[in-house]
Amino acid sequence: MAKPSSPNGKTVSVRVAVVAAGVVSPLGFGLAETLESLRKARDCVSPVTRFSVAQCRCKTAGQVPDDRLLAEVEGLRGQRLHRASHMMIQALKEVVAQEPQFKPELTVIGTTSGGMSYGEHYYRSLRQAEELRHAPTWIANYPAQKPVIDAQKVFGISAPCQVIANACASGTNAIGYAFECVRSGRYKRVLAGGYDALSEMVFVGFDSLQASTPEKCRPFDRHRTGMVLGEGAAILALENLELAQERGTPVLAEIIGYGISTDNFHITQPNPSGVGPRQAMDRALQSAAISADKVDYINAHGTATVFNDAAEGKAISALLDGVPVSSTKSMMGHSLGAAGAVEAVFCLLALQYQFLPSNINFSASDDGLDLNIVANETRPAVLRTVLSNSFGFGGTNASILMRKFEA
Amino acid sequence: MSLAIAGMGWVTPLGRGVDSVWERLLHGNEACATTVSEEFGNRPYHVFRVPESALTGFAHPRLRRASAISRFAAAAGLDALQGAGLTLDSQNAQRIALIFAISNGGVIYTKRFYGDIVNEGAQSASPLLFPETVFNAPASHLAAILGICGVTYTLVGDGAVGLLAIKMAEDLMANEAIDYSLVVGTEELDWLLCDAYRRWRLLRAAPPIEPFSKQKRGMILSEGAGAILLARLPRRRAAETGEGAFTIECTHPGGYFTKRAEAEEILKWILRDLCQSEIDLIISSANGTFVDQAEYVALKAVIPNALVYTGKPALGESVGAAGLWQVILGAQALRFAELPPVLHADPAIALRLPLSRTPMTGARRAIVLSCGLNQQAAGLRLAIR
Repeated sequence: MAKPSSPNGKTVSVRVAVVAAGVVSPLGFGLAETLESLRKARDCVSPVTRFSVAQCRCKTAGQVPDDRLLAEVEGLRGQRLHRASHMMIQALKEVVAQEPQFKPELTVIGTTSGGMSYGEHYYRSLRQAEELRHAPTWIANYPAQKPVIDAQKVFGISAPCQVIANACASGTNAIGYAFECVRSGRYKRVLAGGYDALSEMVFVGFDSLQASTPEKCRPFDRHRTGMVLGEGAAILALENLELAQERGTPVLAEIIGYGISTDNFHITQPNPSGVGPRQAMDRALQSAAISADKVDYINAHGTATVFNDAAEGKAISALLDGVPVSSTKSMMGHSLGAAGAVEAVFCLLALQYQFLPSNINFSASDDGLDLNIVANETRPAVLRTVLSNSFGFGGTNASILMRKFEA
Repeated sequence: MSLAIAGMGWVTPLGRGVDSVWERLLHGNEACATTVSEEFGNRPYHVFRVPESALTGFAHPRLRRASAISRFAAAAGLDALQGAGLTLDSQNAQRIALIFAISNGGVIYTKRFYGDIVNEGAQSASPLLFPETVFNAPASHLAAILGICGVTYTLVGDGAVGLLAIKMAEDLMANEAIDYSLVVGTEELDWLLCDAYRRWRLLRAAPPIEPFSKQKRGMILSEGAGAILLARLPRRRAAETGEGAFTIECTHPGGYFTKRAEAEEILKWILRDLCQSEIDLIISSANGTFVDQAEYVALKAVIPNALVYTGKPALGESVGAAGLWQVILGAQALRFAELPPVLHADPAIALRLPLSRTPMTGARRAIVLSCGLNQQAAGLRLAIR
C-alpha cells in the first residue's frame, strides 16, 4: 500500500490518533448515552418550545435538555453563559476525564452561529424598548469564540483557538484542519470539534428557504420533504500517534484522510451533479492513500432536503457504490456547526463497537438514487474504515476518513 | 515557515489602493466621520465609512444581492491578486487557499432578517436575505468569482482574527499542494454594532481616537477589507512583479484572556517570542480602549525602544479587517522606510510614537501586534529582504 500522502504526493509519516472524545447532543450526554441511543436507533426529535414556531412550517428539532445542560456551571456565572458555552463545557469535560494530561497546542472548533440567541435577545429588547439590563451579558457572550474560551477556561486549557465558520461543514472542516496540523508534524496535540445551539433566527431562516420539513426527517427517502434542525457539541483530542503510544494512552481511532472542496454553483444549493461532494470524498481518499473499496461505512451529510440528498447520493454512487450509508441526522436533526464533530463521534463509536448506525424514518428508496441505506435499525458489521461527510451553504464540502486502530 | 507577501489590497475609509491610501496617511489624513442612526435607537453614532468612490465601477453579477462586507472583501481580494500579477485559471485555482477573517459578519442583513421576524412574524422572513447572513457568505462569493474550488475557510473571532487567519495560512501552506493563500479580512458597519460596543464601554461618542491615553475614551468603528496574497518562498515572480521582498517570517498564535487585565501578560509573551530578531517597528492595535494600556505595558516591558505606530486614529477600528490593515501598514512602512504620524497622540506618552512623518532608514523588521476586544490576542513578524 502506498504511504499516505498530501494531495500532490509528498509522503508524510505522522499518523493521527484520536485519544479522547466528548459529546452532548439530543442523543444524550456523553459517549455511553450516545452509544445507547445509536444502538436503539432512537428518534430524539421533539416539539420546539424554546421560541414560537407558530408561523413556521417546521415545528420540531433535536434539542438538548436544559435541566441537565445547565447543571454543570452553577450560580451567577452559569446563568450568564450561553447554552453553547454549556454544551462545549460538557463535551470538553468528557475529554478531560479521559485524558487529564492532554495539553493541546491548538484548539480548532467549528460553528455557524455562536451565541446567536443572545444576539436575538439584545435586538428584540432594543426593538421593543424592553429591559436592557442584561445587554452587556448578551453582547459579551454572543461572539463565536466565547464558548470555546469558556470551556477551555473551566479546565485550565490555554491553547489558542481558531473558530471555523464554514456553514454546515464547519465541524468536519475543524477536525480535518486539525488532522492536517498534526499530520504535518507542526503540532503534536490539537483539540478539534464543533458546536451550535438552536436559535430562532436560524430556525426561521431554514424554514423560509422551505428547507425544513413539517414531517419527519427522512434522509434519502423517496418521500423526503426536508430537514429538521438540531444542536449539540463534540470535541476530539487528536495526537501524534507515536507520542500517544509512548504515553501509553488508549487510542480510540485514527483519522487517516481529509478532503475539502468548494462548489461554486449557488450560495445555498449544491451542484446537482454532485461534483462538490464527490471532490471532497475523492480528496479524502487520496489524502489517506486508500481506494474507495476500503470504505466500510459512510455517515452521510444526508439532511433530507431534495437537493442535498440527490447530489450527495449521486456522488456516493459514483465513487463508493454499494457501501452502507446512513444519515444520523434522522435521529437528532442537523446540528449545523456541530454536525461534523458529533457525527465523527458517531463514527468513532461505530468503529469501536462494530455496528452500522441507522438511517431512521426510511420507508422507500428514491428511484433516482441507488444507495445501500442502513434503514431504521442498527446492524452489526465489520468496520475498519469509515467516511463522514459534511456539506454547507456557500458550497463548502468536507469529508474525513477514520480507521479502527489496530496496535 | 516564512511566507512572501506577493500582493496586497485594501478598501478603507480613506479609499482604495494600497499606495494611494498610504500616501494620504503619510500626509496625516484622517477618515471623515459620518453618523449612523436607527429608527428604534435613541442616539446616533459616529463612524468611519468607506466612501462610495472607493467601489465606483466595481461590480460583479455574483455580488448583486450581496452586502457591503462581501463587496469590500471582493474588491480587496481582487486588488491583491492584481498586485501580485496573478491571474487565476482552472489549474492554479486549485492550488490557492482562500482564508477569510470575519468578526461581526453580515450584520446588516442579519438585522434586517431578524427584524422582519420580530416585527411581522416568521412568515415575513425573506429567504433571499438568510443566506447572506451566514459567516462564510463573503468567502463563498469571492471563491465563486475567482473559481477557487479547493481550500476555503472562514475564521471568526475578534480583532485578532486577521492575524489568526494568517497563522492558518502558514499551517496550510506546509502542504505543498497549495502554492498561495489569499487571506482577506472584512467588516461592515451598522448602528447595532455601535450600540453594542457602547454598552460594552468601548465606543467613543465622536472622534478622535486618542491612542495610548490613560483615559481610555474609546474607539470609533470603521468598515472595509484588507487582503494579502501569500506565496511560498522563494517567490517565482518577485523580479517580474516588483512587489518587493516582504516576508512574514513567523506568526504567533497568541492566546486568550478572560479578564482585560490578563491581556498584558499575553501580549508580553507574544512580544518576547517574536523579538528573537532585532525589531525596528511595532504596528500596534491601539484603538483608544483598554487595548492601549495593555499594549503600552507590554511594549515598555519587552521592547521599550522600538518605534510604535497605530493606524486606528486615522482609519478607525475595523475589527475583522483590522489585522490585515495592520500587516499592510507594516509592509508599506518597511517598503518606503518611513512612517505616517500617529494622530491625536499625547506627546507625553512614554513610547516612541512618530508624531510627524518619520523616516526609518535601514528598518528591516516589524512586529504586528493584535489585541482583540473580545479575549483574543495574536502577533506576527514581518521582514523586508
